Amino acid sequence: MIEGHDLELFERSIRQATERHTGAALDAALIELGWQDALAVDRRAAVSVLFALQGSANVTSSALATVVAAGLGLESPAEHGVILPGLGSWAPPAELAGDQLTVGGLGAADLDRRETVLVVAKDPGASGTTLAVTVERSALAVGPVGGLDPALAIAEVSGNGIPFRPIAGEATRGWPEAVALAQMAVAHELIGAARTMLELARDHANNRIQFGQPIGKFQAVRHRLAEALVAIEAADGVLDAAWDIPSPELAAAAKALAGRGARTTARHCQQVLAGIGFTAEHPFHRYFRRILVLDQLFGSARSLTDDLGTRLLASRQLPALLTL
Amino acid sequence: MASSRDDVMELDSFRKGVDHWLDEQEDALAPDHPGLGTLDQQMAQLAKVKRLGYEAGWVRWGWPERVGGLGGSPILRAYLGEALTARDVVEPGVYSMTEVLAPTMIGFARPELAASLVPRLLRGDETWCQGFSEPGTGSNLASLTCRATRTDDGWRVSGQKVWTSYAQYAARCVLLTRTGSQESAHRGITALFIDMDSPGITVRPLQTMHGVDEFSEVFYDDVAVPFERTLGEVDKGWSVAMDLLPYERSTSLWHKGAYLHRKLEHLLAAVPAGALSPAEVGEVVQILYAFRARSRATQYRMAAGDPLGPETSVDKVLVATAEQAVFDLAAAGLAGEVVLGDDGASRRWRSEFLYSRAATIYGGSAEIQRNIIARRILDLGDDR
Ligand SMILES: Cc1cc2nc3c(=O)[nH]c(=O)nc-3n(C[C@H](O)[C@H](O)[C@H](O)COP(=O)(O)OP(=O)(O)OC[C@H]3O[C@@H](n4cnc5c(N)ncnc54)[C@H](O)[C@@H]3O)c2cc1C
Repeated sequence: MIEGHDLELFERSIRQATERHTGAALDAALIELGWQDALAVDRRAAVSVLFALQGSANVTSSALATVVAAGLGLESPAEHGVILPGLGSWAPPAELAGDQLTVGGLGAADLDRRETVLVVAKDPGASGTTLAVTVERSALAVGPVGGLDPALAIAEVSGNGIPFRPIAGEATRGWPEAVALAQMAVAHELIGAARTMLELARDHANNRIQFGQPIGKFQAVRHRLAEALVAIEAADGVLDAAWDIPSPELAAAAKALAGRGARTTARHCQQVLAGIGFTAEHPFHRYFRRILVLDQLFGSARSLTDDLGTRLLASRQLPALLTL
Repeated sequence: MASSRDDVMELDSFRKGVDHWLDEQEDALAPDHPGLGTLDQQMAQLAKVKRLGYEAGWVRWGWPERVGGLGGSPILRAYLGEALTARDVVEPGVYSMTEVLAPTMIGFARPELAASLVPRLLRGDETWCQGFSEPGTGSNLASLTCRATRTDDGWRVSGQKVWTSYAQYAARCVLLTRTGSQESAHRGITALFIDMDSPGITVRPLQTMHGVDEFSEVFYDDVAVPFERTLGEVDKGWSVAMDLLPYERSTSLWHKGAYLHRKLEHLLAAVPAGALSPAEVGEVVQILYAFRARSRATQYRMAAGDPLGPETSVDKVLVATAEQAVFDLAAAGLAGEVVLGDDGASRRWRSEFLYSRAATIYGGSAEIQRNIIARRILDLGDDR
């Protein structure tokens, strides 16, 4: 466990790294700071600190790939790139029929820097089971990078009948554990981004003068920002609880609330930032782009909410989560 | 298993003990009436449960020994209320007054007064009420006018309160009075602890829209109140009221969360196939999770002795949002029952749906909570 003073130091060093670096440079800084060791020792501290700060600073790293591999139980989780599920989905991004591997998912910027890529495949032969394999990066077709958030560089990745190697000698945990951990990581990043959007709007509300007073004196403005804070705290509360009481349901709910809460925050903050926030030179739009894309990773607010409701209506039972 | 004072009751053994007691005493604790019952029946039920719980010891845990408690963390009270509401043994609304008013007495009454009267509240011998709102004073509590005048042998109180919940049942009232000039606003308010059978008090029950007539108008006509019934310092009643508010937003909100969970369980079991879309069900459940997760953290903060402050306004916004979301869902999924039904179960859904509309009004309205968040958490400065 990383606690007390150590946790403060850890957080300070990661904060400095995320304030200075992004992409490959941030990956290098994280290696130097021992973030991967921290992930092995104290998952909660490593994931919550890095992803919240990464979201806050609007930077990117390959940490999500590492988190997925760690969730699968791999011993050296940073070794390979990882194929993420498709937009809005948390299903394994590949299928294995006989010895035919079909891949269809997403890749992040770090894919270009990898030689091998970890792929989790559904095995239709054995119902519900998944298999983790590695493939050569060069065997995958990677779509153009661009879209809503070019800095995040998410691209579609596909491949048909490509050679693969099962991951030998390592007891891999199931895909659901990896999904839950990834959902929590992305939820932290969404919340970090949302908190920065709120901070930008709050500063603006205190400094922008109209009608002879800071716009933050207008109740309509104040209530929008209060609403944003409530949405953020709602998501953060469930996320904390998901660490306290590990459960796939809470991880999924935290991800959904974080996605929805970040959108709510963006809507109110954009209105308060108004004209200046609509310019490309103001940082707001970079956060807005980021949260819209992050919402789509490992299940969106929409798809996860629909799935939860479907299961509850089918079982007609409400799981007794969140006891004291 | 009888609980003893010497134990340091940890949550896990407390939970086991309470659950065991609830199983064992299921028949004795069950309401005598079917369904929601009338308010008279609810109040009688509450008194019975408190008495049995006090005798068995469970109701005393989490309260200080000097007021008849057995000590231990307040989180034990959070669990007891959760267990009682989750089993439909008590209604969270009537149960919550203890959680709101006992801490005020413990914090501000003379120790002898608290020692002699709080046990009566815990044991269910008495109901207490909270007289804050007046015809001209709702959200702007600092404008209250009900006057307490100092005489040689005590206070004399004259004025009117309104929407005082359970006043018609109450033996005592925590009353906010004006002791300074009207312009003194929050600086000239004094909190008094009043016997409701004092000469000069008239209680007139009001009808509510949900059919459970919980609150009253209360008229005070030259009511004598001894000085030793002053809570806190003279002219410092504002801090009594402010100190009480975080309690309104902690333990009793946790109980409300358990109740809402129970209601959603009932709804999922009763809703006709196809009446609700998965997306709307999923979203309401997430909102309830969000409130319960937040409130759970607040219970642990309180147990650790952390002071509670403006951040509990977030809890309050979330609980009101969750309550209205749960009952909006019920009204959509059980439209036949809520709109047309006349059997007991339907009347209960209807009444509870209507009551949920008050969740954004009482205990500081939704707007007042957002004002607090903006000023005190987001630091947006004064709004004037
Ligand atoms: C079921 C129920 C039980 C109650 N029990 C008790 C009790 O036991 N004891 C007690 O003392 N009182 C009780 N009350 C009264 C309750 O505390 C008040 O209703 C509440 O404080 C609001 O006051 P008001 O109704 O006068 O509304 P007002 O204060 O007149 O407000 C009307 C509307 O204006 C808005 N508003 C007011 N000021 C502002 C502002 N500054 N900024 C933005 N919007 C504003 C409010 O949010 C509200 O929407 C109870 C009320 C209900 C409904």
